Amino acid sequence: MDIATMVAFYVLAVATIASGLGVIVFKDAVHSALSLILTLIFLALFYLQLGAMFIAIVQILIYAGAIMVLFLFVVTMLAPDGDELQRDRISWQRIVGGVLGLSLVGALSYLLFTGASVSAATKAAPADGLQAVVNTQGNIEAFGQALFHGFAFPFEVTSLLIVVAILGAMVFGRRA
Amino acid sequence: MQLSAYLIVSAILFTIGVIGVLVRRSPLVIFMSIELMLNAVNLSFVAFSHFLNSADGQMFVFLVLTVAAAEVVVGLAIIVSIFRTRRNIDVDEMNVLRG
Repeated sequence: MDIATMVAFYVLAVATIASGLGVIVFKDAVHSALSLILTLIFLALFYLQLGAMFIAIVQILIYAGAIMVLFLFVVTMLAPDGDELQRDRISWQRIVGGVLGLSLVGALSYLLFTGASVSAATKAAPADGLQAVVNTQGNIEAFGQALFHGFAFPFEVTSLLIVVAILGAMVFGRRA
Repeated sequence: MQLSAYLIVSAILFTIGVIGVLVRRSPLVIFMSIELMLNAVNLSFVAFSHFLNSADGQMFVFLVLTVAAAEVVVGLAIIVSIFRTRRNIDVDEMNVLRG
């Protein structure tokens, strides 16, 4: 655990949480979408730090590059209105939202610090686990072996899911 | 860094997404908060994959990514069709079930 990894982690953590807050704080929906793109890119840097190179690149290509572009299409088409500047129907909504959010973070942190310790599971990790394959063949080969040896059936089912989603979008997109 | 550090960042991002879903009134920003929650869980999965020395976490991230893409497609189609009929997408005004 060297100092460079710690500095990188803290910088990335602050940046990710700041851009995540930007998603829910900005009044303009386009600014929220751009802030979400920034959050996705910082999360991809987290994945790089954790050694998941393929997932990091796929995150930037698919999530930030295709899904968020779709979001921006719809956001700019629907012409974000100024209704959000009016008062909410429940005036104390934001305060209660903040309090509930703080209690959720508190509960999750409490569970993290008093739950089962992970160090025992890490010591018991198999010798032919992910790190061994990554050290010999690289991350993409390790990812490919895991995907097509253990997860081939879910991989095929996702193709069915995508076909169903495309059909659903086409049905919804028709002029009535 | 320890595993709990990554999990705390993931928990904070997840909570930010939950607050966004509860407080905002534009369905597009609510949808973006849902995507933020999905990404927070992806970070947890990749952190567990690294610290438990197993590729299963990255497999789950791959599947979550695919499901999120399909969900965004259908959800945005629904929002667009609602906008076509009502010309207004404020969720506080969507209180009638008929199309």
